[in-house]
Amino acid sequence: MLKPGDPAPPFDLECALNGRIARCSLAKISTELALIFFYPRDFSFICPTEVAGFNSALKDFTAEDTAVVGVSIDDVDSHLRWARELGGIAYPLLADPDGTLARAYGVFDDDQKVALRATFVLDRKRKVVFSWSCPLNVGRSVPETLRIVRAIRTGQLCPADWKPGVEFGPSDRNF
Amino acid sequence: MDPADPAQKKQLFERLSSVREIVFGVQDGVLTTAGVLCGLSGAVSQHSQVALAALASTAAGALSMAAGAYLGAQAETEVLRAELDVVRADATARPYTLQEGLLDELWKEGLSREAAYRVVRLLSASPRALASTAEAKMFGLGGSMLGNPALDGLVMGVAFLVGALVPLLPYMLITVQRYDLGGALVATALTLFAVGYFEGWLAHRRDRWRPGLRFLAIAMSAAAAGYLIGLAISPLGATAG
Repeated sequence: MLKPGDPAPPFDLECALNGRIARCSLAKISTELALIFFYPRDFSFICPTEVAGFNSALKDFTAEDTAVVGVSIDDVDSHLRWARELGGIAYPLLADPDGTLARAYGVFDDDQKVALRATFVLDRKRKVVFSWSCPLNVGRSVPETLRIVRAIRTGQLCPADWKPGVEFGPSDRNF
Repeated sequence: MDPADPAQKKQLFERLSSVREIVFGVQDGVLTTAGVLCGLSGAVSQHSQVALAALASTAAGALSMAAGAYLGAQAETEVLRAELDVVRADATARPYTLQEGLLDELWKEGLSREAAYRVVRLLSASPRALASTAEAKMFGLGGSMLGNPALDGLVMGVAFLVGALVPLLPYMLITVQRYDLGGALVATALTLFAVGYFEGWLAHRRDRWRPGLRFLAIAMSAAAAGYLIGLAISPLGATAG
């Protein structure tokens, strides 16, 4: 699994976006940060809480100049139907049917043949600044991901559970 | 009885769960008693002593089998009930776990992922429906598996008793030596064949004679072994007496 400092593997894949099939390329994402989250499957019972959760919080991520991208091994038709089932998803759901992208990020579960629940935040140079993975049966916290994004954007030393408004750590220290 | 009626079919399946006790009890009663008769006939010469010992063995066997069946069913029911409680509590507290597991099972059984998702989603409208389906599909558990220990014990005891009377009655009624044991063995053979045939009938088999012969072969082997063991230990009886 990629760790902070690693360059993010590029991608250019089909995706479902706003009810249509489109293409999504890392090179064409122009926001300061890019949040890429892998999830195991469409049409499951934990994934929609995350997929829909990121969609509900999309405005907050956009306000942080952060693009959100979801990836699973399902094909783009499945993504389209799944997004419709969830009431529409306004960020791209990438189709990675053979798991190439998941493998490139080191989050492909060879036993289950699905991507792990893994989250990456990439900086402007498209290097990993944050990476995290959860067991397949445990859903991620969208507010916590947003907190991380906000903390990263400060460029400051952020103590545990830092939130906007809370004091930063000493500016002459790196960690 | 209408075989297409699901309620009647369910009732039939519940009744069929007693078949194990009936078949086991009858078979054990017949075999044990025939074995005792053969063994004692080889070791003891007096007809009345053999009959008395076989009667005592029958009474002890019936009580022991009934108690064993009761205790076994009681333990099984308690363990199963505890497992079902855990699954049902999970369905309420962590429905995602059951939903995902059930979805996977349905998917593996050939439904598309999307169809399986919709089925599970519909079932999720009722935690009880979700739990009972998950119990059956994921864990192979079912409410109908919860037996009635008292009934199981009673059925087993009576079945053993009925089975034991099959060789015992001819043996007691026929007083002519040699024919007494022969009569008991013929009755035993016919009954065991009938039990096997009955099992084949319940299983809708066309070759019902096959399970009948299987029962018969096992019975004859056990009886022959019992007789040989009796012959082998008869010198010990002579020494002790």
